[in-house]
Amino acid sequence: MATITPAQGELQIRTMQRSPLSRVRGNLGGMWGRPITQAILKALLTIYVTSTITFVLIRLMPGSPVEIKIDELMNQSQMSYADAAAMASGLFDINLNAPIHEQYFEYLGNLAHGDLGNSFLSRGTTVMSIILSVLPWTLFAVGTGLLLSFFLGIALGLVAAYRRNSFLDHAVSTGGSIISSVPGYLIALLIVLIFGIQLRWIPITQMRGAFTSGITPGFTPEFIGDILFHASLPITVFFLTHIGLWILSMRSATLAALEEDHVTVARARGLTDGRITTAYVGRNAVLPLVSQFAIAAGAVVGGAVIIEQIFVYQGVGLRLVASVNQRDYPLMQGIILMTTVCVIIANLIADLLYSRLDPRIGRAGGATGK
Amino acid sequence: MPVLSVRDLSIEYRTRRGPVQAVRDVTFDLEQGETLAVIGESGSGKTTLAVGLIRLSPRSARVTKGEIRYDDGKRAFDVLSLDAERLRRFRWADCAMVFQAALSAFNPVITMWEQFLDTGRAHGMGDKHTVHDRTRELLDLVHLDPKRVLTAYPHELSGGMRQRVLIAMALLLDPRVVILDEPTTALDILTQRAIIDLLRELRGRLGFATIFISHDLSIAAELADRMITMYAGRIVERANVEDLFYRPRHPYSVGLMRAVPRVSGALGSVVSIPGSPPDLIRLPRGCSYYPRCPFHVEQCLEQDPPLIPVDTPDHEAACIRWEAVAAALGSDAEAPVAEKLA
Repeated sequence: MATITPAQGELQIRTMQRSPLSRVRGNLGGMWGRPITQAILKALLTIYVTSTITFVLIRLMPGSPVEIKIDELMNQSQMSYADAAAMASGLFDINLNAPIHEQYFEYLGNLAHGDLGNSFLSRGTTVMSIILSVLPWTLFAVGTGLLLSFFLGIALGLVAAYRRNSFLDHAVSTGGSIISSVPGYLIALLIVLIFGIQLRWIPITQMRGAFTSGITPGFTPEFIGDILFHASLPITVFFLTHIGLWILSMRSATLAALEEDHVTVARARGLTDGRITTAYVGRNAVLPLVSQFAIAAGAVVGGAVIIEQIFVYQGVGLRLVASVNQRDYPLMQGIILMTTVCVIIANLIADLLYSRLDPRIGRAGGATGK
Repeated sequence: MPVLSVRDLSIEYRTRRGPVQAVRDVTFDLEQGETLAVIGESGSGKTTLAVGLIRLSPRSARVTKGEIRYDDGKRAFDVLSLDAERLRRFRWADCAMVFQAALSAFNPVITMWEQFLDTGRAHGMGDKHTVHDRTRELLDLVHLDPKRVLTAYPHELSGGMRQRVLIAMALLLDPRVVILDEPTTALDILTQRAIIDLLRELRGRLGFATIFISHDLSIAAELADRMITMYAGRIVERANVEDLFYRPRHPYSVGLMRAVPRVSGALGSVVSIPGSPPDLIRLPRGCSYYPRCPFHVEQCLEQDPPLIPVDTPDHEAACIRWEAVAAALGSDAEAPVAEKLA
């Protein structure tokens, strides 16, 4: 083409303006600039820091668990100090005689193999195998409760915002703020006391554990039903403690999104209400909630300790409390570490999801897209 | 047969202090293929009128009376009496609107192509390929590279490009009327120029009628066939472009033109209009321009003057002192107002 149209000129100017910056980024390596790489690196760093803190914690625990264990072994089994120390260090997977930095690197090396040491109480059982037998139940209950509350909360918040100042709006938002201000353990206790003990509507004793003992695990309707039966109370509590948050956040995010210029333009374009609500209002309103979800996921795993205790649900929280009571230090340490890793992974997923949902954050596929 | 004829349209906003009469008794016709410019300062009711025409006013607004008759070539109907679904179909297909805020006019989380497709689908263009072909054609017309634009998200395009995309999108369904609400306000001067040239070109090619809302008189003068001056929600003068620029008869039109700086003029030649627009909740008695008007007399307080023909039958002004205005301008110089715009 002989002539340059204004649009082409504009394009050229923009390209020129952008090129020095993109060149610098290009030198750093395109891969490192990508949000997905950054998010994964961040997650790995967090896991590393957490494991280091855990390592330090074993040494800072009151009464030095290793020394206590050595004493205990010497007293109980009449072992010599050397034998007892060897046994204790085996349990912790730490060579107590090595200098501290060597112990640290050995610990990290073992971690990298998924080796968290052995349980004190059940000899020969690795901490990892214990965690793997309880962690999925917690993740299942917490995840189900959170996801249910998230999707229902989003729907209710959206409807409330669309019908601002209607009876439904007032009912939903007032209900949401009341329920979100009640702590989860209180709700759990009330369920046990009122529906379980006073009214006897819920067979709380039968619902203990993650599933009925004796049932064959597998993808059978009976087993899945049984799992849901046992998990239903924790799920209810996780659901109730979060639904208010999602309703209120979604309601205000939707009200803000409705004021956006592009929503007015979408109306002028004659788009259907359904399309505007989902793709133009809802999708933009839900963005801030995705990062909130990641934060909530972290907090709720911590909160699960008490809830599982109340319902005697066979999850990681119940096991953690037991390990604390029984001074099973390697198990404690492992549970804390693995729980943190799960939360970090949840955050990572939220991060990646966010960058997919909001192209302004940066596209995982690279800057030029398709 | 005008494509759009507005009769006695009045729109008010409910506020705590009382109703704000943003648009009062507005009457005008828009002929097929014609460009009508609506000028006035901020708060004169221009934008309320523009969004009112496609019934997109905020919830607090209410049309208190009037009629907006649209003729789609086969039959005429009153836009105000359409039900929700027919109104939705009317928007964009019959009357599209290019907004002032083109920078934020697009959904930030979906690509431009999806937004074109949404627009087409909402109006029964079920076939993807039809939408795609038409979109490519229009993007070519607005001098954009379809390949680059369609895969882009809004934030990846410059302000001028987004404004072009919005103009292309406005033409997707071949509307008979396009409302342009200050389409160049947010853009730099070079981009403004390019957009104006583009609009002129498109109008010539496609033959749609345009309502051009602007406070920029020079741009309005370039594009428009006829002009309307609005003040305090009312039309105070209506004329073809030449008459309004060379022979304004309402003191407010004169004031607006004096307020425009000219490239060749001395610095002192820009005169702003003293005072500010009246409170639209408690309108003053008589002519609402009275407090700011250099030509005012006692009589002006008696009633809000109606539009009356001045000079020629096509030229109307709502001023009882129009002859004094004409005399003042005529004795001053040959064409003191238009000269500023040269």
